[in-house]
Amino acid sequence: MFTSPRAYLTKVFIQIFLRNRQYIIFSLLLPIVILGIVGLNDGEVDPIDIGLVDKSSSDLSASFSNKLSSNNLFNVIEGNEEALKEKLINGDIMMILVIPNTMNSSNKTNTIKLLVDKSQIQFIQTIQPVLNQTLLSIEREITQEQAMFDLSIEDVKSRSQGYLDFLLPGIMAFMLMNLSIAGSGFNVVEFRRRGILKRLFVTPIKPIDFVSAIVIARMVIVLGQLTAIFGFAYLLLDANITGNILHLYLVIILGVLMFLTLGFSIGSLAKTQETVGILASIFIYPQLVMSGVFFPLETLPEFIQPLAQLLPLTLVADAMRAIASDGLTIFQVYSDIFGIGIWVIIGTLISTKLFIWKEVAG
Amino acid sequence: MIINASNLVKSYEDPKDKSKTFNAVDDISLSIRSGEIYGILGPNGAGKTTTLEMLEGLKDIDKGSAFINKIDVKGNPYKVKEIIGVQLQANEFFDNMNLAELLNLFSALYNKKNDPISLLKKVNLADKALANANELSGGQKQRFSIACALVNDPLVLFLDEPTTGLDPQAKRSLWDLISDLNKAGTTIVLTTHNMEEAEYLCHRIAIMDYGKVIAEDTPKNLILKHAPEKVKEVVQGNMEDVFIALTGHGLRD
Repeated sequence: MFTSPRAYLTKVFIQIFLRNRQYIIFSLLLPIVILGIVGLNDGEVDPIDIGLVDKSSSDLSASFSNKLSSNNLFNVIEGNEEALKEKLINGDIMMILVIPNTMNSSNKTNTIKLLVDKSQIQFIQTIQPVLNQTLLSIEREITQEQAMFDLSIEDVKSRSQGYLDFLLPGIMAFMLMNLSIAGSGFNVVEFRRRGILKRLFVTPIKPIDFVSAIVIARMVIVLGQLTAIFGFAYLLLDANITGNILHLYLVIILGVLMFLTLGFSIGSLAKTQETVGILASIFIYPQLVMSGVFFPLETLPEFIQPLAQLLPLTLVADAMRAIASDGLTIFQVYSDIFGIGIWVIIGTLISTKLFIWKEVAG
Repeated sequence: MIINASNLVKSYEDPKDKSKTFNAVDDISLSIRSGEIYGILGPNGAGKTTTLEMLEGLKDIDKGSAFINKIDVKGNPYKVKEIIGVQLQANEFFDNMNLAELLNLFSALYNKKNDPISLLKKVNLADKALANANELSGGQKQRFSIACALVNDPLVLFLDEPTTGLDPQAKRSLWDLISDLNKAGTTIVLTTHNMEEAEYLCHRIAIMDYGKVIAEDTPKNLILKHAPEKVKEVVQGNMEDVFIALTGHGLRD
C-alpha cells in the first residue's frame, strides 16, 4: 500500500511543514505558555506581603514575628510605621500589623493593630480568617497548648495531582484538534485555490494517494508536536502521567484521524479560504468552552452537558485524561473510543461525498 | 493520429437559469497527428481550456470519446496521464521548495527518477535550481512549468496559453523551446489567442468559438480562405484578419 509516489508526497508534506519554522514555533508557543503559567503556579498561592511594626521588642514579640515569617502564606517586611504606611498606600504591601509596646507577657490579651487600605477591604475580608487562624496557631505554639482539632485534607485519588495534570491532556487534545484541522481543511482549500491540486492531478497520482499522504504526514507532525509538549510538561513542570503511554498515543492517533476527516469535511464545504476560516472557528471555539478542556464539564449549565459529552474534542480530551491522569486503559474508555469512531465515519462520509475531485481540481 | 477525439461535449449548469444547461464544449472532433504542433485558437470562453482538460483526463467527458495513443481517456485516465505532459494556466507550486526539489517530486509522482539539473538545462534555468518557484519571473515560471511537464518524457505536451502575459523576449524564447521540443519528436497541443504565435508555431490550427470548432487548417490555407480582401493590397492578410473575420468584432470576457 505504500507506493512510491505516495511515500514521496508524504515526505514532501513533512518537509514543507518542517521548513515553516514560524508556524512550528507559534503552534508550540500557545500550549507551552498556558501550561507554563499553570505549571509554575500549581498548588502554590503567592505569599501576601505584610508589614510588621514591632513596638515592644520583647522576647514574646520576637517569637511572634519569627513564627509569622516562617509561615509561607505571608512575606513579612519589618520596619517602622511611617515607612510601611507609605508602602501600604503604594500598594507594595497588603496590610501592616502593629505590635503594641505593651506586648511582653503571654498572660494577657494583647491587641495587635491591623492597618489596611480600605479599597482593599474585599480582599481583607477573605484573608481575615486565614490571618485569625495564623494568629491562633502562633498563640498556641507560644503558649504550648495542644489544639483540639486538626483538619487533614486527603485526595481520594491518593495521588499528587494538580490543575496542571487536569489541564495537560485537555491542552494536548486541543492542540491535536487545531493541528489536524489546519493540516487538512486549510491546506486543501489553499492548494485548490492556488491550482496546486490541479497540477498534482494531471500526474497519474490518485486522490487516495494524495489524501493518505496528507493523513500520514499530519499524523507524524502532530505526534511530534504533542511529544514535544509532553516532554516539556513532564521534564520541566513535573506533570504526572499515570496511565499507559501506548494507550494514550493510540487515543491521540484516533483523535488525529477523526479531526483530519472532519477537517477534510470543512475543506470540502468551504469554497474559499475565508469561508474555511469561519467554518473552522465555528467548529473550534464552541468546543473550546464546552469540551471540558479548561474546566470540568460539570461547571457547564446542566442542559448543555449531554450535548457537550458528544463533541469530538470532549471525547478525545476525556479519553486522554482518563488514561493520562486516572490511569485507566483504552478499553475502559470504550465509550469515548466508540464516539470517536462514529465521528470518523461521519467525517469520512461527508468528505468523500462532497470532495468531488474533479471539481476540487478545477 | 496520436489524438483522436470525436463529438466531445461538456455541459454545465447555466449560471443565469439553473434549470438549463449550456455546452461549454459542443460536439468537437479533433484528429492530431503525431509530431505536429497543433494550435487551438479562440476568444476567451470559447471552450479551449475545457477541451484540453477533457483530453488530459482532468474533466469528465460528458459525451463523445477521446483516445490518446489509442488509450481511451474516459476508461483509462491514469494510463493517459502517464504519457502526456501538461502545463496549466496557473503555475503555482508548493512553498518552501526549490526548483530541483519540485522536479524530483514530479518525477516521483510518475514513479520516475530524473536529473533535475539536466531538465532545468533544457529550459535554460540550470542556475535557478536552488531558487523557489515564487522567485521566478513570468517567463521563467512558464519555462519551469514546461520542465515539470517533461519529467515523464511525454509523447504529447499540452500547453494552455503558454505565452500569455510574457514580454516579447520571453515569448520568443518560449517559442524556440517549443519548436526544439517538437523537433525532438514531441507532439504539442497548445491554446492561444495570440495570432502571431499561432501563425509562427503551429502546423495546423483549429479556431474555436462558442464551444465549436469553426475552422481547421494550416495557417496559410486559413489566411487564403478567410482573409481574401487583404491578399490584393499587401502580400497577404495575417492570422489576425482570419480570426476577426471568423469570430467577429464583439468583445468577450
